[in-house]
Amino acid sequence: MGKLIINEWVKLFRRAGTMVLVGIVILMVLGIGAFLKYEEIQNPPQENQNWKQDLTVQIEGDRAALEETGQNNANLKMFYERQIAINEYQIEHDLAPETNYNVWSFISENMGAIGFIGVFTIIIAAGMVSSEFSWGTIKLLLIRPMNRSKILLSKYITVVLFGVMMLTILYVVSAVVGLALFGLPEESLPHLAFVNGEVVERSLFLNLIGEYFLSSIDVLMLATMAFMISAVFRNSSLAIGLSLFLMFMGSSITMLLAARYEWAKYILFANTNLAVYFDGVPPVEGMTLTFSIVMLFLYFVLFQLLAFFVFSKRDVAA
Amino acid sequence: MTSVLTLKNVKKTIKRKTIINGLSFSVLEGEVFGFLGPNGAGKTTTIRMIVGLMEISEGDIVICGKSIKDDFTGAIRHIGAIVENPEMYKFLTGYQNLMQYARMHNGISKGKIAEVVELVGLTDRIHEKVKTYSLGMHQRLGLAQCLLHDPKLLILDEPTNGLDPAGIREIRDHLRMLTRERGMSVIVSSHLLSEMELMCDRIAIIQNGELIDVQTVNEFIDGETALFSFETGLINKPEVTWLKSEWDATITESGFTVETAREKIPGLIKKLTAKGVDLYGVKTIAKTLEDRFLEVTSK
Ligand SMILES: Nc1ncnc2c1ncn2[C@@H]1O[C@H](COP(=O)(O)OP(=O)(O)O)[C@@H](O)[C@H]1O
Ligand SMILES: [Mg+2]
Repeated sequence: MGKLIINEWVKLFRRAGTMVLVGIVILMVLGIGAFLKYEEIQNPPQENQNWKQDLTVQIEGDRAALEETGQNNANLKMFYERQIAINEYQIEHDLAPETNYNVWSFISENMGAIGFIGVFTIIIAAGMVSSEFSWGTIKLLLIRPMNRSKILLSKYITVVLFGVMMLTILYVVSAVVGLALFGLPEESLPHLAFVNGEVVERSLFLNLIGEYFLSSIDVLMLATMAFMISAVFRNSSLAIGLSLFLMFMGSSITMLLAARYEWAKYILFANTNLAVYFDGVPPVEGMTLTFSIVMLFLYFVLFQLLAFFVFSKRDVAA
Repeated sequence: MTSVLTLKNVKKTIKRKTIINGLSFSVLEGEVFGFLGPNGAGKTTTIRMIVGLMEISEGDIVICGKSIKDDFTGAIRHIGAIVENPEMYKFLTGYQNLMQYARMHNGISKGKIAEVVELVGLTDRIHEKVKTYSLGMHQRLGLAQCLLHDPKLLILDEPTNGLDPAGIREIRDHLRMLTRERGMSVIVSSHLLSEMELMCDRIAIIQNGELIDVQTVNEFIDGETALFSFETGLINKPEVTWLKSEWDATITESGFTVETAREKIPGLIKKLTAKGVDLYGVKTIAKTLEDRFLEVTSK
């Protein structure tokens, strides 16, 4: 198994395209860092002396909005409640909002790039099986004393390793660039999370790792889906197209449906953002972490079974 | 002699269309077995079933005692194959390609890879990217890939397709060496009889997914006649008459042909020389095979 994964890894990284993807992630972090630093030098942020008053005004506004719209929309209700609670907590405990960038806020800023990593991992996953067919190399690959399921598994593991590697590169490069450009925060502020109607303090460092992990579940599920489509239909364009469409539209469509129908909670994308259970509100009221994990697990098993069953059985006539 | 590969009434149906209809034959240890048939006869489909790329609809295929259906890994480890073209990873070097396959078998040493590369004559170019290779080099790398794990049975699907005469000659020499020196069995498929005659010990003719005949090439059984072609200089009238009446010969542009038993040939040559006919060459024509093949392919 180890040797099969080495094979896949060699095939992946001997292609120029893969190295370009890695390069893009690194350049992107450098670019964002340079841009934010430039902005900070151009318009140095002012220390806001009246932050408590400003927050109070915001709380008033949120209260009004909660009265008005929040009552008939569970989602908005939770959103306003969360905002109000966190702001009140900040006033109460004298936690002034951070105005300057520091390494943590920079890493957090770069979490937006996980979307790109998602796109890249989907592209890799989609080509994993279908390229062997289009190159014709599948014929030499499958006539070895290895079961097809082992070969497919090694390919899947390689996709997951690729995703993990990209996330690690993003986190580490962000940390290095963030430290170099913005340094550590002056006083170590906690991260405020809203869990079960209460505000709790968390370590920023651990919270960021946790958020990276939770954001990557989305990537993992979409990459698994792209991999499945690639193994079943042997067509990478279809796998990339469908997966990217769902990646960008999936959650919006799910949110629209979730506002009206309760069954929307069974849709994959209603469950991929587990962060809502640690700090936020779920798309459909009454959804729990356990429910989402079970749903994710079921989708995962479904994708894998489809991929393995079809790949192991189908005739190779390429 | 033991058989390395046995097909037992193998059938293949794709979308209710029967493509292979009950093939049965065996390939013996150390022989070159030809698989001859016009395009679309089902050669590649049969080979795909032997190597497990396609499922067998009916029947069974046994390789070194292991059924490809029940014990895929046990059966396939004895096979080295090229199905249609040997497609390689173009963005890797020849050596990196071989490493891919070496990692999938147990116990292939660096020395073994070097030996195989030397054998197919790619030593100079093995560390270059495959996209720079010519068709002949692709074919040689394909052959190297088959030989890494010392298979008992080598399967080459139309190995001479697109090669120039020198390349074809090279493939033939490799096959002879592998069977004679290493005791490997080889299956080669082709749609060209002339090629097959030169490299095979036995030839199976298939058409429309059915076995028409299995013929032994250049086999002389005492008392059985074969067709011999004589290349001679000018033959004078009396000799022509003598040949026609005594030997039932057919005069051709370059000499004549006779159908006779093998052991009569030395005597005929002596008499021809005595009569002053210049003799340049004698060769056998596998008449029955050619006839059968033409019969099949001209339809
Ligand atoms: N995947 C497939 N689906 C349907 N028909 C096929 C398929 N593969 C091969 N055939 C048909 O089977 C026949 C035999 O093809 P093939 O084995 O490639 O012949 P050969 O190698 O002898 O030229 C052809 O008529 C071809 O059209
Ligand atoms: Mg063919």
